[in-house]
Amino acid sequence: MRPLRNWFRRGDLESGLDRELAYHLDRRISDLVNSGLSEAEARRQAKLELGGATQIREDVRDVWFTRWLRDLAYDLRFSARSFLRSPTFTATIVLSLALGIGATTAIYSLVDQVVLRALPVPEPERLVLIDWVGEQAAAGRGSTNLMSYPICLDLQQQERFFSGVLCRHETEVNLSTGGEAREVGAELVSGTYFAVLGVGPALGRLLNNEDAGAAGAHPVVVLSYDYWQAQLAGAPDVIGRKVLVNSQPMTVVGVAAATFRGIDVGKVPSLWIPVSMTSAAMPGWNPLTDRRTRWMQVLGRLRSGVSREQAQAGLQPWFKAMLEEDTRRADFPRITTNLRAKFLASTIGLTPAPQGHSSLRRRLSQPLWVLLAATALLLGLACLNVAGLFLARGSARGREITTRMALGASRARIGRQLLADSLVFALAGGALGILLAPFALKALISFLPNDGVANNLQSSIDGRVLLFTMTVSLVAGLLSGLGPALQAGRDSLILSLRSRGDAGIGGIRLRRMIITAQIAFTLVLVTGAALFVRTLTGLMDKGPGFSTSSLVSFGIQPRRSGYTSAEAGRLTRRLHDAIRNLPTTQSAALSGVALLEGGSWNNFMTIAARERITTDRVVHLNSVSTEYFSTLGIKLVAGRSFNQQDTSLIADRGVRTAVINQTMAKRYFGDRSPIGALLGFGREPGVKPDIEIVGVVADSSYRALREESDQAFFPILEGSDSGGHFYVRVRGTQEAAFQAIRAALHDTDPTLPIAYFRTLDEQVNRSLSTERMLATVSGGFGVLALLLSLVGLYGVMSFVVTQRTREIGVRLALGATRGAALWLVLRDAARMIAAGTVIALPCVWALGRLVESQLYGVTSTDAASVAAATAILVFTGLGAALIPAYRAASIDPTEALRFE
Amino acid sequence: MSTPRFPIPQGTLDMLILQILALEPAHGYGIAQRLDQISRSVVQVNQGSLYPALHRLEQKEWLQAEWKQSETGRDAKFYSLTRAGRKQLAVEKESWAKLTGAVQLIFDEGGN
Repeated sequence: MRPLRNWFRRGDLESGLDRELAYHLDRRISDLVNSGLSEAEARRQAKLELGGATQIREDVRDVWFTRWLRDLAYDLRFSARSFLRSPTFTATIVLSLALGIGATTAIYSLVDQVVLRALPVPEPERLVLIDWVGEQAAAGRGSTNLMSYPICLDLQQQERFFSGVLCRHETEVNLSTGGEAREVGAELVSGTYFAVLGVGPALGRLLNNEDAGAAGAHPVVVLSYDYWQAQLAGAPDVIGRKVLVNSQPMTVVGVAAATFRGIDVGKVPSLWIPVSMTSAAMPGWNPLTDRRTRWMQVLGRLRSGVSREQAQAGLQPWFKAMLEEDTRRADFPRITTNLRAKFLASTIGLTPAPQGHSSLRRRLSQPLWVLLAATALLLGLACLNVAGLFLARGSARGREITTRMALGASRARIGRQLLADSLVFALAGGALGILLAPFALKALISFLPNDGVANNLQSSIDGRVLLFTMTVSLVAGLLSGLGPALQAGRDSLILSLRSRGDAGIGGIRLRRMIITAQIAFTLVLVTGAALFVRTLTGLMDKGPGFSTSSLVSFGIQPRRSGYTSAEAGRLTRRLHDAIRNLPTTQSAALSGVALLEGGSWNNFMTIAARERITTDRVVHLNSVSTEYFSTLGIKLVAGRSFNQQDTSLIADRGVRTAVINQTMAKRYFGDRSPIGALLGFGREPGVKPDIEIVGVVADSSYRALREESDQAFFPILEGSDSGGHFYVRVRGTQEAAFQAIRAALHDTDPTLPIAYFRTLDEQVNRSLSTERMLATVSGGFGVLALLLSLVGLYGVMSFVVTQRTREIGVRLALGATRGAALWLVLRDAARMIAAGTVIALPCVWALGRLVESQLYGVTSTDAASVAAATAILVFTGLGAALIPAYRAASIDPTEALRFE
Repeated sequence: MSTPRFPIPQGTLDMLILQILALEPAHGYGIAQRLDQISRSVVQVNQGSLYPALHRLEQKEWLQAEWKQSETGRDAKFYSLTRAGRKQLAVEKESWAKLTGAVQLIFDEGGN
């Protein structure tokens, strides 16, 4: 390290040495003068005795910096100087590398943030996700990996394996800290949450087991540091303040540590509420003691010294006993023997969870790895391009290099110089790439839908990513410099010195190989882009199954603003009437669950027609108002839609009618008519099917555009319409309609927060965010790749034509046609393109499997996409070669020969 | 110039410098003069190699340097021995003694 340190203070060292040597000389001169010599004579002799000052300086510098550092520094300086003399060349190379490195940095940063980065807690590697593997015979609410709260409490007793177990449910609440209520992300957590994670407070205290005790008894919350800073300006007296959570007063007891933003990178909570307050946070919901409601993710911290495998194996006996015990409980549902066997065969599974739990990660990690692989290809391509340019320059510099070798430079020394060239470029490209990366990262993050609850994705580049980028830059530099460096001085010295400057012919074979590889890389990227673009356009053409133009939607949750169920129903109806009567409204409908948000209400169903069957997969359910199908424009295929009678209340009977979609009708009824058949919720033997199917509607998307699911709709009964999602078909401009609807909302209840307000076009776009990201980014990469390799191909072909000018001239003079000359060059290009294609096709086939799950409507080996990509490459490639080929054909034989 | 001088053996220059500085701190010219006295009588030291050697020993932290006023009133860079340098000198002296002793032994045997 000392040589490096010296390097940075070399100014001081140099001036010190100068003074030291000057002192020595002056003393010697004055001593010699004293002994009787003349001034001039003394100076001459003193210098002679000391030896050459330059030599001493060089020797001392070797001591300071060691040899290799000095050589490297000289090489780098030489490289930088020679590059500044050819700015176009330099700009081309630095830009190629910066694009590749910038893109890689941006996507790696996203991968790091979403997939790799561990939670900012002590020893995150000891955190595991505890999950039920198998049949839970329970109703679910939430995303994935859900279990009941009683099981979480059971697991907390397993102290042999865990030093602590936490559970959490993520939700949204209306939070008011003085002003208007706003919807924010919240986490309902066990009392162990903060202790198990090892997170401390920034202020006050965090939640404990007492807070999570008796239901409803502990109205306390912990605020996130960010919320405290942004909304409360970091008020130090926040502890003890009352805030309103869904209109219920709760006391702030603390603020969590600044670095901690929950355990889900995709959803950052603004506050933490003890699980005991669940029915306040989620009105009308009280699952605390129910073993058959799965709604919480459970994470454990392994006791130190206990491995995940040991814990998993050790937990099974307890788990088996619990399963047995469960089946004997009075509230255990009556289920079929088949289902019971599945239930009893369940196991408990532990998976590493140092990154916490996130549905964003689940959804995004595969597309992100695909994109990272694509950027790696792009970066590889950029490196190849740079290598090609180096080789081209190497041949131009052939004279310089052979002269240096003739003067005694070794091949290794020349190669090192060329490698230094590429390092200078890599560092410049890397630096520029790092400057570009935050913009690219911002663009990438903007693809993700992020209203409602904020995510924890940052567009700044942190130290870890910086390290990654520097490594990537160095590797890129070495890769792009290696070929040319090895090539250096291959050619015979004498031959190249004797020839008139067109040395470095040997490089042409390497350059051809580089072009071939570039074409292969490009074909892979272009094919990938074609597949993702076709997936996106396919989904957009298919649409959600209803017309989205002039359709807007918004959601209200009056129960979160303190309304009782009955009040909420009256409010919703009043609002529905008001909106229906607006001049800007064509029609308005209401649904219980929002469309295209990724979530659904679902259950297995029992169907009674000629015989009684149960569905073999869940049916996605929704409750809708009578105008739902007509407002959305979903076609009725058979039977009838809902009417006023369907929604009216009849004593002690729930819904009595249902409409199913075509997919479900086809799956369970085949060619028979489902009209008149009966449905019941669940698949247990005790289920009484008493809901009559009255109609069949065309398929439409529910959770997302790409799914095709069985769906059943039920009418929203009077009095059970306590909020939901409005779908309004508007006339006139959307702005006018938005204003009118907002006014109507304000008239109904000025304090009621609107969960969201958007057009269905926006909603469709949001639900396609991942597909759009893949298509846009891979499409951009495809275009870039094509440009890079076309430039490369053009460069090499031009070079070849220049090299062969004389040969072509001779051919032409001997009677070859212009067409033959044209073909001579084109054939060369065609050979490289063909070779590249042949290499790429198996790669396309192999890599295709990795992206299969991201595609829709096309297979990964879709012939049309591969053919289109190949055609694009062949035609543009030959087009790029045509220019030099044309130049070859128009060579004037007399000129070419006189040139010699 | 009358007595024939032989060039200083490789590696012994460092030892000589350490030995000179063990007596008292000195600047480069001072060390050169001392070396000159030695070399006038016995060995030949190239003054040009003095400064690389001084800097090498400084890098190894056997010497420390300090700019202070010299006897002529001008600032000069004075070198002095560090603790590590003193230890190193002892080590070199010992190994030198061993080496010369061993060589002497071989010569003696050869003489017999």
